[in-house]
Amino acid sequence: MIETFHIESLAHVSPAWPVIIAGLVAALISNNHVRKALALLAPIVALVLWFNPVTTGTYGLIEFGGFTLETFRYDNLSRIWSLVFIIAAFINGLYGLHEKDRLADVMGLIYSGAGLGAVFAGDLLTLFFFWELTAISSVFLIWGSRNNASYKAGLRYLGIHILSGVLLLAGAVIRASETGSWAFDGSLSIDTVGGFLIFIAFGIKCAFPFLHNWLQDAYPKATITGAVVLSAFTTKLAVYALARGYAGTEILIYIGAVMTAFPVFFAVVENDLRKVLSYSLNNQLGFMVVGIGVGTELALNGAAAHAFVHIIYKALLFMSMGAVLHRVGTVKGSELGGLFKSMPATTVFCLIGAASISAFPLFSGFVAKALTLAAVAQEHHTLVWLVLVFASAGVLEHSGIKIPYFAFFAHDRGLRVREAPVNMLMAMGLAALLCVYLGINYGVLYELVPYPEAALHYEPYTFDHIVGQMQLLLAAMFAFTLLVRFNLYPEEKRSVNIDFDWVYRRFLDGTARWGWQMIDRLNAAVGNIVTATQARMGGKAFEIFSPGGQLSRDIPSGVLAIWTSALLAVVLLIAYLAP
Amino acid sequence: MSDDNKKNDELIHPLARPFLWLDAKWLKSSMFWIFGILTVAFVAADVFHPRHEYVHLAEITGFYAMWGFGAFVLAVMIGWIVIRGVLGREENYWDEEGDND
Repeated sequence: MIETFHIESLAHVSPAWPVIIAGLVAALISNNHVRKALALLAPIVALVLWFNPVTTGTYGLIEFGGFTLETFRYDNLSRIWSLVFIIAAFINGLYGLHEKDRLADVMGLIYSGAGLGAVFAGDLLTLFFFWELTAISSVFLIWGSRNNASYKAGLRYLGIHILSGVLLLAGAVIRASETGSWAFDGSLSIDTVGGFLIFIAFGIKCAFPFLHNWLQDAYPKATITGAVVLSAFTTKLAVYALARGYAGTEILIYIGAVMTAFPVFFAVVENDLRKVLSYSLNNQLGFMVVGIGVGTELALNGAAAHAFVHIIYKALLFMSMGAVLHRVGTVKGSELGGLFKSMPATTVFCLIGAASISAFPLFSGFVAKALTLAAVAQEHHTLVWLVLVFASAGVLEHSGIKIPYFAFFAHDRGLRVREAPVNMLMAMGLAALLCVYLGINYGVLYELVPYPEAALHYEPYTFDHIVGQMQLLLAAMFAFTLLVRFNLYPEEKRSVNIDFDWVYRRFLDGTARWGWQMIDRLNAAVGNIVTATQARMGGKAFEIFSPGGQLSRDIPSGVLAIWTSALLAVVLLIAYLAP
Repeated sequence: MSDDNKKNDELIHPLARPFLWLDAKWLKSSMFWIFGILTVAFVAADVFHPRHEYVHLAEITGFYAMWGFGAFVLAVMIGWIVIRGVLGREENYWDEEGDND
């Protein structure tokens, strides 16, 4: 059977390759339509390959330089992550159909493929290769905005992600020298030097507190499509890496809890709505990190399910803001309002994304977040659980209310623009459909998670859960209306809020500049002294030895006789004392 | 509504026209009552059907409503007072020397 032969012959091919190869081929093609066709077809081919393996296992082994690179590890963890990456790649391709930018097409595909390759990596060297490829390819999605701010942000982004890669490689080498193993699995530990470096490498990409500002710095400055693409892969790849290597590492519970809470405060008063979404992304990552830290089957299911639905609804929210940016030219909350009159379909899609991320019943966030919260409560991490519930109300504030309210409702600023392009609407519609579908038919999602049996024992739609969640959301919305009614809600204002990035963008940068200036000045001062000394010495020598100098003057014979006698006395003294 | 807005109303999307009431003042002012009443209704559900939770604190009647309300107000106040008040800067802050030069 030819068909069977073809399928079997492709059984060892990672779904990452067709996407990466499509990106490389797109680089050679000037015809926009062909490139767009590749952007849509490559994820479909990847999906076919995703279905191809019959059993879990490691496929696609490549011998290289004495190493065996494992390019296709297919198991319960890589399965769910790779599927949502493939879905995201397709949605991104659809969303970017109207753009005519070869570099964006190429890099978008290579970046998506690299993300997939990293998820399927079975060893740390393969992971490193794809890890760096995601960094290098994704920076072009930021530079694609082609302005000075995005160029600088891209440089900072690239710098910190290359650092992450270097730490990953250093950690892997140290670990291999100690244990002889390059395995990328649960044997990683923060108690060893190598394991700790790898943990920090993952933490940078996962936007841990104090390592997070590359996210809020770069994503809002990326291109319209670029921000959507970026939101899907980098950070969720890091979450995957943590789930693979550090499940059950307790410190992740507390790191994750902090991640859920602090972005809320920044998002509340941020004016750039794509930056609000970046803080929101950081907050959502926190839930997943907590789940990985707890490390039970239910908690890991929660992290995986949350990552799956999050990629879709976060992409949806970024797409809706991208559509606004495309039509209006800005996503500043202070300049938007009333857009539901011009962009009704985009409004509906944004509201679906907002409802999903806020975890309203019947939407995907509800069935995913519930797993993590239940796992945290079951393990008696009460304080962390309270922080997560606080953060859930915070999510509603910045992503559930602020984004749709200030963009599409609030004050009508008379902006009358056209609805988003058809391809953007189709991409948003597909994502919105998935948000609702997974919220209702949650069994599909629960069958995909790493431990399906544990998930299928969990019932999200209980009376207690629905009532509790509705209380939380409705009371928070009541608080919003109360604060607005009494003018206690901060208006959107043209401003920025400094974050930890101030440390390196201002303090360290300023210190470095000051240091260079001081070195320059010191150099100049030393140069002046040397020049002045040379001039003075030269002058003195000239005064003494020149034809008109002191040594050429007439000296009185009496004085000369005295000096000659003195010199003779010195010579005699030395001769007498010499042994 | 300004004259500009009236002129612009001709450009309203046909699909949005049946929903222009969403912009009505009466709706905006009544949202306060709608959400207030709905919150009370869901808290009342606790009275008639006590919830069973892994965290005992959450079994208090109206716990989620109180926590949600408090969390929202706290988030807004800290954001407003601390973040904007202390860390807020002019919009062109990063355009000054050092960053984008």
